[in-house]
Amino acid sequence: MSLKPLLRKMFLVDLIKGLKVTFNYQAPSEAITEQYPLERPVIFERFRGQPRLSVNPDTGESLCIVCNLCALACPEQLIVVKGERNPVTRRKEPVAWTYDLSRCMFCGLCAEACSTDALELTQDYEMALYSREGMVLDQAALERGQEPTRYEK
Amino acid sequence: MLDAITGYLNSGTTPGEYGSIFWATIYILVITIGISLAVIAMNWLERKILAHMQIRLGPMRVGPHGLLQPFADALKLLIKEDIIPEEADKLVFWSAPVVVTMTAFTTFLVVPFGRTHAVTDMNIGVLFMLGISSLGVLGIIMAGWSSNSHYPLMGSLRSSAQMVSYEIAMGLAIVSAVLMTSLQTGTGTLSMIGIVEAQNAQQTWFIFKFFPLGFIAFGVFAIAMVAETNRAPFDLPEAESELVAGFHTEYSGFRWSLFFLAEYAAMLAVSSIAVTLWLGGWMRPFPNFLSGPAWETAFSFIPALALFVLAGMCLLGTVRMPKIPQMRVQTVGLGIFGTLLGLVGLVLLVPAVRERVQDIFWFVTKVAFFMYLYIWYRGTFPRYRFDQLMKVGWKVLLPIGLAVLIATAMVGLYPELAAAVVGVVQ
Repeated sequence: MSLKPLLRKMFLVDLIKGLKVTFNYQAPSEAITEQYPLERPVIFERFRGQPRLSVNPDTGESLCIVCNLCALACPEQLIVVKGERNPVTRRKEPVAWTYDLSRCMFCGLCAEACSTDALELTQDYEMALYSREGMVLDQAALERGQEPTRYEK
Repeated sequence: MLDAITGYLNSGTTPGEYGSIFWATIYILVITIGISLAVIAMNWLERKILAHMQIRLGPMRVGPHGLLQPFADALKLLIKEDIIPEEADKLVFWSAPVVVTMTAFTTFLVVPFGRTHAVTDMNIGVLFMLGISSLGVLGIIMAGWSSNSHYPLMGSLRSSAQMVSYEIAMGLAIVSAVLMTSLQTGTGTLSMIGIVEAQNAQQTWFIFKFFPLGFIAFGVFAIAMVAETNRAPFDLPEAESELVAGFHTEYSGFRWSLFFLAEYAAMLAVSSIAVTLWLGGWMRPFPNFLSGPAWETAFSFIPALALFVLAGMCLLGTVRMPKIPQMRVQTVGLGIFGTLLGLVGLVLLVPAVRERVQDIFWFVTKVAFFMYLYIWYRGTFPRYRFDQLMKVGWKVLLPIGLAVLIATAMVGLYPELAAAVVGVVQ
C-alpha cells in the first residue's frame, strides 16, 4: 500500500469528511420537509386535479351543451352525459352528468375535447374520501366542487 | 431530621463512604429516574438530529417540535399486545430483557457524576463496570436463543462475537489509562473516583497525557465502545436489511422497550467510562490554568447560564411559531417548557445548589457530547460487513491497543528504564 492512502486511512480522513457533510446538513434551513396542512405545495397552472363543470357566472346556467365529446374522448369511458333540449331557449342542457373519479387517471383529454370549455381539470388535489360512493360525481358536485373531507376520529 | 440531611450533605462523601443505606437508596432512585429521563431525551434528540442530518424535520406534531413524541411512543409500547411466540422458551424469553436492563442499570452504581455524586466508590470500579456491562451479552444471547427463530439467533450470534472481540481492544485501552493513574503515586487505582482524582493530581486529562499515546488509547476505546453497544456503523446484530431487527425481532411492546432502554443506558454507561478515564470526569475545563476563586465563581455560573440559553431558545421558538389556531396549544406548551427550564436555571443560581450541581453539569455535558457522536456516526457511516468488522477488531484495534499499552508503560517508566539500561551497559 502506498503511503498516501495509508495515511488517509490512519487519520480517518474520509470518515471525518463524511462527518462534516452530515454536520453541515443540520441547519434547519436545509430541511426540505413540507408541513403539509400548514404549508401547501405550489400547484402549477397546468396541474390536472379535480374536474369541474363551469357555469355562466351571470345566469348560473351550465356551459355544457351535451355534445358528448368528453365522453367519447375519455379513454376510461367514465363520463356519462344525458341532456335534453330546452323547448324555450332551444339550447341543449345536461340533465344527468356522472363523472367516476375512482377510475379517472387525470389525462385531461375530456377537458381538451370540450367545445365550450365547460369541463376543466382544476388545481384542487385534496380528493381523498372515506368511501367509494362519494367518488362518483354528479352535476351538482361537479359544479360546486368538492370540499376536502375532514379527518374524523 | 434536618440535621441528618445537612450532616450528610456537608460530609462531602458518597453514600457508600458515609455508610448510609438510606442515602444510597435515594441516590439509586435519583440515578434510575435520571437515566430514564436521559433515555427519553436521547430518543427525541436522536430522531431530531438524525432527521436534520437527512434534511428532514423529524417529529413536529406531538407537542412543540415533537417534544412529547417519546412519551407518546412509550404509551403506545406499554398498551401494545404482549406477544410470546408459541415455540419460544418462555422462561428464558421472559428473563432476557430483564437481564439486559438490570445489567445496563447496575453499571451506574459506580459512575461518579461528581466527587460526592456516586452511589458508592468501589476500589474495583472500572472492572465492575466492564464485568457487569459484558453480562449484557448474556441477555442478548438468551433473547436470540429463546425466540426459537432464525433471525434473532443469527443476530445474537453476531452480537456476541462482536462484543467479545471488541471487549479485548477496549480492555487494553482501559488498562493503558489505568496505568497512567499509577504514575504519580506509584500505586494505580481502578476506582472511578480515584481515576478522576489522579487526573486532577497530574494536572491533565489522560487524553492529553504523553500526547499521542493517551489520545490513541482514547480513540481505540471510542471505536470499541460503539461496537460494544451495537450501534451504527457496527450495528450488524440489528441490521434491518439483513436480519429484520436482530435479537429482538420476536419481542414486542413492553419487553421490546426494555431492550431499547437497556441499549441507551449501556451507551450512557460506556460513555461515562470514557469520560471518567480520559476526559477528566466531573472536572470543569482548565482547572489548572484558570484556577483561583474568581474563575471558580465564573465557572459555577455556567450551568445556570446554559439552562438560560436553552430557555431563551424555547421562548424564541415560541415567538417564531406560526400564528394560526392549530398551533396555539403547541406555542403555549413550548412557552411553558422554556419557562420551566428558566426556573430550573434560577434554582441553579442559589450558591449552595450551584456548588453541588456544577460537577454533575460538566459530567453530563461530556457524556452528552458522546451521545451526539453516537447519533452523528449513525447519520453518516454505512454499516460494516461482518468480516470487515472482525478485521477492524482483531487486526487493527487489538495490535494498536497492545502497542499503546506497552508504549505507555515504557514512557511512564522512562527514568527507571533509562537507569536500568545505563546500568546494564556499565
